[in-house]
Amino acid sequence: MRLNPLTLRKLKRFREIRRGYYSFLILIGLLGLSAVSELIINDRALAVRYEGAWSFPTYGPVELGAVYGLEGTAARRPVDYRDLAAHFEAQDVGNRVIMPLIPWGPYYNDAVGGILRAEPPNFERGHYLGTDTTGRDILARLVYGFRTAMLFALAFTALTYLIGVTIGCAMGYFGGLFDLLFQRIIEIWSNVPFLYMVIIIFSVIPATFSASARIGILLIIMVLFSWTGLTYYMRTATYKEKARDYTAAAQVLGASTSRIVFRHILPNTVATMVTFVPFTVVGAITAITALDFLGFGLPPPTPSIGEMLKQGTANLTTAPWIVSSAFAALVVILLLVTFIGEAVREAFDPRQFTLYK
Amino acid sequence: MPAVLRSACLLPLFALLLAACGGADRDAAQSDELEQRRAKAQAAMEHHYANQPSLGPALREAFERGDVTQDEIDAMAAAGELQPFFVFATPDDLPDDLTWQDGSDLPEFASPEAKKGGTWYTAVQDYPRTLRRVGPDANSAFRPFILDDVVMNFGQRHPEDISIVGGNFRYYPGIAESWAEDRENRTVYVRINPAARWSDGERITADDLLFMFYFFQSEWINEPWYNNFYSRNYVRVVRYDDLTFSVTVPEAKPDMLGRVLGLEPLPAHFFEEFGPDFVDRYQWRFVPTSGAYVIRDEDVRRGRTIALTRNPDWWAKDLPFWRHRYNYDRIHFSVIRDTAKRFESFRAGEIDAFGLNLPDYYYDRLPDDDDLVARGLVGKYTFYNERPRPTYGFWINSSRPLLDNRDIREGIHYASNWERVLREYFRGDYTRMHTTADGYGEFTHPDIRARDFDVDKALEAFARAGFTERDSEGVLVNERGQRLAFTLTTGYENLQDILTIMQREALQAGLRFRVEVLDGTAAWKKVQEKQHDIQFTAFNVGPEMYPRYWETYHSVNAYDRAFLPDGAPNPDRRPMVQTNNLQLIANRELDALIERYRASESAEEMRKLAFEMEEILFEDASFVPGFVMPFYRVAAWRWARWPEHFDVRLSRDPLQYFLGWIEPGERERILAARRSDQRFEPVIEVHDRYRPE
Repeated sequence: MRLNPLTLRKLKRFREIRRGYYSFLILIGLLGLSAVSELIINDRALAVRYEGAWSFPTYGPVELGAVYGLEGTAARRPVDYRDLAAHFEAQDVGNRVIMPLIPWGPYYNDAVGGILRAEPPNFERGHYLGTDTTGRDILARLVYGFRTAMLFALAFTALTYLIGVTIGCAMGYFGGLFDLLFQRIIEIWSNVPFLYMVIIIFSVIPATFSASARIGILLIIMVLFSWTGLTYYMRTATYKEKARDYTAAAQVLGASTSRIVFRHILPNTVATMVTFVPFTVVGAITAITALDFLGFGLPPPTPSIGEMLKQGTANLTTAPWIVSSAFAALVVILLLVTFIGEAVREAFDPRQFTLYK
Repeated sequence: MPAVLRSACLLPLFALLLAACGGADRDAAQSDELEQRRAKAQAAMEHHYANQPSLGPALREAFERGDVTQDEIDAMAAAGELQPFFVFATPDDLPDDLTWQDGSDLPEFASPEAKKGGTWYTAVQDYPRTLRRVGPDANSAFRPFILDDVVMNFGQRHPEDISIVGGNFRYYPGIAESWAEDRENRTVYVRINPAARWSDGERITADDLLFMFYFFQSEWINEPWYNNFYSRNYVRVVRYDDLTFSVTVPEAKPDMLGRVLGLEPLPAHFFEEFGPDFVDRYQWRFVPTSGAYVIRDEDVRRGRTIALTRNPDWWAKDLPFWRHRYNYDRIHFSVIRDTAKRFESFRAGEIDAFGLNLPDYYYDRLPDDDDLVARGLVGKYTFYNERPRPTYGFWINSSRPLLDNRDIREGIHYASNWERVLREYFRGDYTRMHTTADGYGEFTHPDIRARDFDVDKALEAFARAGFTERDSEGVLVNERGQRLAFTLTTGYENLQDILTIMQREALQAGLRFRVEVLDGTAAWKKVQEKQHDIQFTAFNVGPEMYPRYWETYHSVNAYDRAFLPDGAPNPDRRPMVQTNNLQLIANRELDALIERYRASESAEEMRKLAFEMEEILFEDASFVPGFVMPFYRVAAWRWARWPEHFDVRLSRDPLQYFLGWIEPGERERILAARRSDQRFEPVIEVHDRYRPE
């Protein structure tokens, strides 16, 4: 793809802003790692060597104990790979289990000392950030919660931009009655209280819906109530570009509407819109965390940062590691995204390249 | 209003005077209106006394079902076919051969060392929405303080001696001085203590008892349950003189005496404005009480605090069984919604006691080596009690697809790992519930044991229902591709951890629970509309002699027309909403037993029937018994003192029988000691006289 030299200069400028650029790299790295978090933090084995053959259960279906020659009840229940590892070790016939780096899943209730309660960080057992009130590993829940939140935020941003940019651009380009009509619609729509809508809609969704379906519904509701903010920026930017001479020239040359919009106007408004992206992401992460904190977000026991914050504040004095982990994670994510946002805004700021005297 | 007309002609100079005149006239008008209202209320009451027929259970139930209309009942009453409910007789009409008793052979249970005085600070989660004792919003967590635990009945069940003698629990006198039982005629005679007074100084008389029946039978209180209960379960009340009355019940159940002694009279003089607007008119009026504590208007700061004040002239303060109790001068309630905040408030010394029933509070948040406990500033008390247990467990809706299959329900039993929850989450403090009616003494089935967690037995049961294969998530599926997945709903947010633990355990047996945590009201609504698959909930039960089965298990509370005339299940039946049959059990054999149980007058027979019913319910497997908390635990600041034996057998918390007191001057001393580094002997007490083996 050939990039506009102006864009290239902007990207170069972005790279030069160290804080933002490194934040960007770190965030991409974290996203990349979380995409394969099943391989790093999981209670399912990475690889099992049984009777000379290797198998890789991480992404496969649930396996029953019979697959690995377990007997009695254990043959008929899903394999607990930690127990299996101990079993193979005791057998000592060359069978082995390779567990991920951190051998805990986000749902595994580990009763340290026979009691399910919040345990402080325990390196020996592999709970590097401790456990929550039902003995689940906090690091595992953070990582899986982070992944959900980021995926949610990115999908949210993409969808709001798609709708906001389309409608805003159409309002600015066509103007007139269309513009007038949509302005009124947006005014009315943006006055519907978003939080109440979420609460109301969630109270009528039957619990038979799976967690992912509920996340999808939450996403759609949030997008439906968030696209309006973008349209006004886009509308102004389009109006401004449409009044420029090059647009008039293109029209005179007989360019089609779609060509003018996609080749001329949109690329020139990108600078304005791109600077809002990181803040939209921040907004989305905050919103889903807040909803979870209030209990209107993801159904239990789905791991989420908001749910951990809630649990942490309820156990502030007895288990400070819960709230501090969740809080630190949230601060780090939001800081990273904010740094990126600052850098993007600076890199795309036209004042860098024009000088009015 | 001639006065107003005349003054209206005067100069504006007299405007002030005029306004005063008008005000006085308004007052007069208001008092006129009040007079009329009182007259109307009086007339309505007398009309009710004169005309209310005695329906009895059969007719009342037919009326509830809609088989008999009000008009038909009126016609029957007019034709003289029905006995009157209210009878006015003379002392000469009293039978001569009655044996009067007064429970005076029973031991007292309060400590003579108790000292009066001080303020007890405590917190409630919600501010009471009304001071009425009945009607909308009245059944709140605050009600025990204005009714159940404070108001006196005619006689009270002895909370220590829970034996059954001559078919009755043991009672000690409250408002009654003595009573006599005539089992043959299903009648209890009561003599009111001549000293008995309301908190406003008026005498308590038999008229107040009659008024109570009128009040609870009236539709103006907006409480169908009361209307039904006080029309169905009592058939006649006879007033002999100011202080003597008798009440007749339809069936001489073993607890017949308790049904009469447990009544509480209502101050007729206070309700003289009783009318259709009762609910609004009496919303914030404190009802004069026979008990020790009153609420003064100036202590009601709505939404923030409310306080009970000890009535220094309480008529029963030196009465045996009542003396040395209700010792705090004031009980001050503030509103703190959040449990964690309530606990911090307790640690700060702002409230005097805090319940430690949940293990993480007892062991982790206030451990024995906590500074407050180790320095003896705060004591920890465990009291094992003995009373019917709230029915915590999984209530399976057997009208749902798949759940209508007994094998699947049995599988759910075996796939529910209560053992792990009890052992690792409740840390072995709670015990397993075994029947649907634990804690009823000899009425609880001694041999039934709840099914233990067992993956093999669960898989076997599911296999019988056609679920043999597991899908990629490890959930069982049948040949038609249905998954073995059910929604497990609860309104107990603080117990949701239990469900997430059991969710994972159930997956071992290929069963998927979808956990749904709703707020309390929404969860209750769901289960009342019978929209649930499986509900984790509990009924709170009072210390009654024997469990109730009709409400929870009779088919009339399950479906609108459960059976066809030939006895086969009706294919078009619809679930009955707003009843307690949460499992939607409709079993003709069980129905027959319940009806016999309801009609039975022999404790022995009822016990046999109860056992038979428990066995049927165990077979039906639609209730997974959960846990029993065999004690209550509490932490309290050192100035709070309790009797040697701490509390009584039937107690559920320390503010139920009010045996504790505050040592004078101690609050200041302990709080001062807290600021210095003074230490006291730590107090960690376990009172296990009533601990089950």
